[in-house]
Amino acid sequence: MDRALRRKLANYVFIGLCVIGTAIALGALALILWSLFSQGIGGMNPKIFTMDTPAAGSEGGLRNAIVGSILMCGVGMIIAVVVGILAGTWLAEIGGDTTYGHIVRFLNDVLLSAPSILIGLFVYELLVFKSNPLSLGHFSGWAGAISLAILATPIVTRTTEDILNLQPNALREAGMALGASQFTTIRSIIWKAAGSGLLTGGLLGFARISGETAPLLFTALGNQFYNGNLSQPMASLPVTMFNFALTPYEDLNKLAWAGALLVAVAVLGVNILGRWLAREKNAGH
Amino acid sequence: MTTDTTSPDFKSVIVPPPEGSLVLEIRKLNFFYGQHQALFGVDLPVKKNAITALIGPSGCGKSTLLRTINRIYDLYPGQRAEGEILFEGENLIGPKVDVAALRARIGMVFQKPTPFPMSIYDNVAFGVRLHSSKSKAELDELVESSLRKAALWDEVKDKLHKSGLGLSGGQQQRLCVARGIAVNPEILLLDEPASALDPISTAKLEDTLEELKSDYTIVIVTHNLQQAARLSNYTGFMFLGKMVEFGPTEELFVKPKVDKTGDYIGGRFG
Repeated sequence: MDRALRRKLANYVFIGLCVIGTAIALGALALILWSLFSQGIGGMNPKIFTMDTPAAGSEGGLRNAIVGSILMCGVGMIIAVVVGILAGTWLAEIGGDTTYGHIVRFLNDVLLSAPSILIGLFVYELLVFKSNPLSLGHFSGWAGAISLAILATPIVTRTTEDILNLQPNALREAGMALGASQFTTIRSIIWKAAGSGLLTGGLLGFARISGETAPLLFTALGNQFYNGNLSQPMASLPVTMFNFALTPYEDLNKLAWAGALLVAVAVLGVNILGRWLAREKNAGH
Repeated sequence: MTTDTTSPDFKSVIVPPPEGSLVLEIRKLNFFYGQHQALFGVDLPVKKNAITALIGPSGCGKSTLLRTINRIYDLYPGQRAEGEILFEGENLIGPKVDVAALRARIGMVFQKPTPFPMSIYDNVAFGVRLHSSKSKAELDELVESSLRKAALWDEVKDKLHKSGLGLSGGQQQRLCVARGIAVNPEILLLDEPASALDPISTAKLEDTLEELKSDYTIVIVTHNLQQAARLSNYTGFMFLGKMVEFGPTEELFVKPKVDKTGDYIGGRFG
């Protein structure tokens, strides 16, 4: 075989392998989405939003789990965004080059890949387990929200640092050259310039925690009844899905699928909303 | 070639502007990037309400010199200056200087346009809001007059509240000039302000600088010798971190006193 032909063949083989790989990944994704929709859509009805989780055999919905998830994810995200953006800003703008900065960045990366069940155990020890002054002594929504916050914070921190590092130094110098303090320069110029990137960080964090089950099992536990009080045990969609999917009862299985579809739609919806908001801002050019 | 400070090749020849016309005077300035010395005993007299140009090959220290005047190098740990920069009797190199107040009096425009991610109006008002509290009407007036001085008003008056990022490169650079003069500085430093602009935008920017000369003192770093010759009243030629020759632009370009200057201007190196 001559050289040119061989090279051509190798090229086709390589491209072919890439196409097959992509097809496998997309195919798996399509199958997941398909089973999610086909199985979840059957359980979708207004009662999901108006009734609480039932016992087997009786009618019910997911209201308590939906409210619990919104509350815990909401509180978790507020903590994660505030702490993450401040920490990321510190790493990018102020102390990132110091020894302490290198240690913080390394630990953040470790935390980024820590198994979520470990975070759950840690918060369990800290806030749920009895022999500890900080502890409430029982499962609670707060403990759930805080374990979710610990999961999302390193993601927000990392993205914030990366995005701020992409901002040109000339922009910082231009702010300071007008006599602005470092704080003013960061707040009104750098954060603004990095706006849509910071938003992406928040969305990534939210996507990560919205389906987390393991850390909530140890901390928020779950609750069969409607509860808007974070200091009580609290239901959540992932934990409810986990419990209901394990039961032999068909109606509970159906609710679990509906819950899974809800989580997927919520993540998708928040992502689209975020991107749309970022786009509106950029359209002002 | 040697970079030894005592090298006789580098005896500076300085023809200063007339006595009493200076607004700022740099004497025996050394500058360091960490261990690396970038400026060696540089002198630079700056005449009030005139344009002073700094020329020289890449890496000769002209931008470094400019960046000492408003202490912007303070942002980077490890960079330090020693010597004197006298501005109204005060040495700017010292721990006691209020850097923020100083930067309000000595403005700077950078090589690449740096519009802030906000409206054209807010860009111009940014520095003003930092240093004084003005009424809406006063601010409106100041924004307009600054944009007029920067020869940008007619092009942007109908879109003051649109983002400054939507302007062309040349317009963005003039916006940065307007932003700089809105705080009414005494000196305006320009670091190769036209290097990212096309010839037409460059000509507009030069016209702007020409007009600003009557109200402001301008120090401009440029790679473009014609630009220095066209615009400036005084020119300093720098080489390897030293001020080789400084004097009235015409004299320096027509009858340089140092061979090195003549070689550079004549295109024999650089």
